Amino acid sequence: MIHRRTLMTGAAALAASTALPRHALAADPMKVGIVLIGPVGDFGWSTMHDRGRRRMEEVLGDAVETTQVEAVAPPDFDRVVTQLVRADCKLIFTTSFSYFQPTIRMAEQFPDVMFENATGTSTLPNMAIYNARFYEGRYVQGVIAAMKSKTKQIGYVAAFPVPEVIHAINTVMRGAWSVDPEMRIRVVWANAWFNPGVEADAARALIDQGCDVLCQHTDSPAPLQLAQERGIYGFGQASDMTQFAPNSHLTSSINNWGDYYASRAQAMIDGTWAPEDTWGGLDSGMFELAPFTNMTPEETATAENVVAGLRSGEIDPFAGPIVNQAGEQVIAEGESLDDDAIRSMNYFYQGIDVSMPG
Amino acid sequence: MALVLERRPEAGKWALLLSPLLAVVLTLVSSLVIFWMLGQDPLRALQVYFLLPVSDAWGLQEVMVKATPLVLIATGLALCFRSNNWNIGAEGQFLIGAICGGGVAVWTHGWGGPWVLPLMLAAGALGGMAYALIPAVLKVKLRVNEILVSLMLVYVADLLLDWLVRGPWRDPFGFNMPQTVTFAPEATLPLLFQGGRMNLGSVIALVVVVAAAVVMARTLKGFEIRLVGQAPRAARFAGFSDARLTLTVFAVSGALAGLAGVLEAAGTVRQLLPGFSVGYGFTAIIVAFLGRLNPVGCLIAGIFIAITFIGGENAQIVLRLPRDMTLVFQGMLLFYILACDTLILYRVRRRVPGVGAQA
Repeated sequence: MIHRRTLMTGAAALAASTALPRHALAADPMKVGIVLIGPVGDFGWSTMHDRGRRRMEEVLGDAVETTQVEAVAPPDFDRVVTQLVRADCKLIFTTSFSYFQPTIRMAEQFPDVMFENATGTSTLPNMAIYNARFYEGRYVQGVIAAMKSKTKQIGYVAAFPVPEVIHAINTVMRGAWSVDPEMRIRVVWANAWFNPGVEADAARALIDQGCDVLCQHTDSPAPLQLAQERGIYGFGQASDMTQFAPNSHLTSSINNWGDYYASRAQAMIDGTWAPEDTWGGLDSGMFELAPFTNMTPEETATAENVVAGLRSGEIDPFAGPIVNQAGEQVIAEGESLDDDAIRSMNYFYQGIDVSMPG
Repeated sequence: MALVLERRPEAGKWALLLSPLLAVVLTLVSSLVIFWMLGQDPLRALQVYFLLPVSDAWGLQEVMVKATPLVLIATGLALCFRSNNWNIGAEGQFLIGAICGGGVAVWTHGWGGPWVLPLMLAAGALGGMAYALIPAVLKVKLRVNEILVSLMLVYVADLLLDWLVRGPWRDPFGFNMPQTVTFAPEATLPLLFQGGRMNLGSVIALVVVVAAAVVMARTLKGFEIRLVGQAPRAARFAGFSDARLTLTVFAVSGALAGLAGVLEAAGTVRQLLPGFSVGYGFTAIIVAFLGRLNPVGCLIAGIFIAITFIGGENAQIVLRLPRDMTLVFQGMLLFYILACDTLILYRVRRRVPGVGAQA
């Protein structure tokens, strides 16, 4: 049913859009393109990149014009990026590790366009990479999970066995063991960043196997919702997901890309853009933790201590000794993994009874 | 009181052509209204959707790249649907084609020669054919519903691909991502023009369309397909075998879907990965009906649908419209074409209780 008011709003909007000249400003705004792996409305990863885009527009105003394409499957990536380049985008953010290799390919093809790949692991003269140290949040999740779990089993809904996910799983366990060395973890690979049905199935399987705290490394609220439904605890991903599971939600990592995006676009305008490798932690503001919910004051205090320790560097989630599943020592006591070692991590720690799929 | 549909005796050839055109017009009008309600300039939106994708050589090439699998699959489906064989699993045959052809590329990676590509194409077509014959044989021998079997086999193919790229065929240097190696040059289709992505696949699709059109219009087999679809009893009296025809059309449509799969793998994507198909096998069903189950019609309809895909991306980039608009658009198109078909070819009559429906 179409209400008259809707029609009137539409008419007004139409009148406004046609009345305004297309570029009201003297200087043409710089065009920024964003490629999203999921739909804008995933309430997780892609939603937060979209919010970052809006924030960039807010900060830079008429100096930028942003445009994005959502839910781009990797086979469509080349065409979409070419379309963005042809629409005159000078800076293109590709927001998934699934786009890392394709972005290298496109950056080589369009040397005059600057690319930035989220969670990528290497740069080119016209390709920067950016990421946040989400593992710090994972460490906190591990600590909280160990305090909350009665079965001593954490369930982890994982997307793909890429290093980003592997080091997150390792870090959750590190955090959990810091509270209770008897903690164990189970992992189900969803093989998708965003697929609510599969994510929920994975969560169901984990809960049926006795897990009573769920971590998720996929983008929809489905696993957390299932935790709520089954009366166990869970963590949100990428945005504050409290609303999806008011009785189950413990905390979420909240990704804030906006200020980073704004600063990078500003650098383009100023001509100071460089292919940097940005990896911001809790102290950088690139992500934060949602307010702790469903926790006792003591549990909250413990968690907050851990957050403070991570911020100050007092707690180092990758401090030695680290021993892998095969029993080989990766790094000795007193040393710590460097960034390249963290982001190429391809092994689970000893004591984690999870195998690589395939 | 019940409503019954009754075929209009006067509905002729013109009606069959009128129906998709009317559906397109209605879809355009409806989308104009939607654009307007979204606060967009409707004419500009239409321009971005339908003219921008075909406004230059690069855009035309991209449209052909997107249309090629749709046209190939739809042409095969048209033969099937014409003869009342409901192959709904072209998506699965497409994936199996990509797996068989892509398997050759993975297997020969590093030591292949110019023979790799022909071998891939053959493997893809044969794989798709074999996969389509499963529902066909079950239908012919055991009277199993081919719609269900072919549809369910899509998920089997999907999971097989998933397992292969996560396990045995995974690129050892792919950061653990579930994907195969990028195919070697000898396992990729040559590009037709510099500066675009159109490849030999589009030429193959055109050849297939012409061949299918000739078969349908000029050969006994084509007559048989049409006759079985329109008048099965008459076809049996004429000595045509239902069973043999079912096997034939499933084999052909499977082979074409498989060929489309391997062309997509070797031409456009150049590796196998989950999400390899963006639903070509299902979209091709819309294309086949929009194209009136006629090969040339499928070509036109395939290009049209491809334009809506690329136009949808343009609309996101230029107008910042959500992607859902493209899906709404395709849904409306199918809805209108079915509605137009029904209302043009049939008339709705009120059945008076007590009087039996007319036979």
